[in-house]
Amino acid sequence: MEFSSDKEEIEHLKELLKNTSSSLRESNSYNLNELSNQTIHSASITQHTEFITLAVLIYSLSKLITRKSKFPEKKWDNFVKRFCNELNNASSELQENNMEEFSRHIDHAKELLTTLSPNQRQDVEEVMKKSSINKAGKIFEHGISLNRTAHLLGITPWELASYIGQGKSMENQYIKTIPIKQRIKFAQDFFS
Amino acid sequence: MKALIFDSGPLINFSINGLLDLLEKFHQNFDGKFIITSFIKSEVVNRPLKIRQFELGALRINQLIEKKILEFPSSIGLNDKDVEKETFNLTDRANHFLKSQNYWINLVSEAEMSCFAVANALKKKNIDSLIAMDERTARMLCEKPENLQRLMSQKLHKDIIQTNQNLQIQQCKIVRSTELAYIAFKKGLIKLNNPLALEALLYATKFNGSSISFNELEELKRL
Repeated sequence: MEFSSDKEEIEHLKELLKNTSSSLRESNSYNLNELSNQTIHSASITQHTEFITLAVLIYSLSKLITRKSKFPEKKWDNFVKRFCNELNNASSELQENNMEEFSRHIDHAKELLTTLSPNQRQDVEEVMKKSSINKAGKIFEHGISLNRTAHLLGITPWELASYIGQGKSMENQYIKTIPIKQRIKFAQDFFS
Repeated sequence: MKALIFDSGPLINFSINGLLDLLEKFHQNFDGKFIITSFIKSEVVNRPLKIRQFELGALRINQLIEKKILEFPSSIGLNDKDVEKETFNLTDRANHFLKSQNYWINLVSEAEMSCFAVANALKKKNIDSLIAMDERTARMLCEKPENLQRLMSQKLHKDIIQTNQNLQIQQCKIVRSTELAYIAFKKGLIKLNNPLALEALLYATKFNGSSISFNELEELKRL
């Protein structure tokens, strides 16, 4: 289904953009983290690029807020103002069903984050990279395959393999499909 | 003639754990071929070669290809175009298996499904095959697809509808890097003389992407 014709998802996204702006203005890291997790539910199903980019951006913001003292105050305030402005414009374009312009504003918002401070650029990029891997881990947890998830987030299976190995996603009761003795027998018979 | 078909997971897992030499040791006494598809090569060599963090791992895997430890489906008489066509067919089927509201859920990529495409083609030629795959989703689709529907409903808190799609992959046999490492240990291919060696080996595969639970690992240790 085309995202532009899904009214429920569009309303959800508009609400998300609004809440992200208010949480960013309030420097509420916890709320941003929650909003990012909510976005991942939709991203796992629809796999729309915009949802995925937003999930990564919002999670990155939740992390960067906790270290905002590293950035000059004036610069940070200016960034928040411009970032929220982009989200607001993106929301207006959504209302008009203008998806191309909506995506352009999301891309601008992303650019604002990466160019927030030339001195901290590497740190910001590192946070965004880790956010991508974290969000990939969440999408994988929801049942999407490793390669598919890596592709969606623009990372490699190499980056994702170790990350998911550290988590508890393999402990779910549904993941065990056949007894381990049977699987060992497959291997033993094959190499005998 | 037999064929062990590699998904990207076990190759990445063994590379990160410094265990790629095991494939050479396995290969020495194996009457058959180790196969990777071009889709897998792209994930384990072509793309990581452009990323410094993974360049060395990619080079090591590429060396296995150059030494013909890992070979392509054509080496076993399969037509590359046929494998590609079957890969797209299986991917399309898998990605039209579960639905949430109006959305088909894209579950898998071509890379994973290309392993099943090779296994299906070999079955038609009466060649015994085994897939080495750490990946959870594709494995579940093959062995217990209804569990994937249950898992996703649970995780997404939504009704996930399972269709009657014939996935055409149910006859395949899969092992993970953990089972391969276990067999290597039992065959004496791991030169590590320590009572903790087996445990360390099994956990190392889990922590680098093998879709195995802690309970299964403990069970394996006791076998």
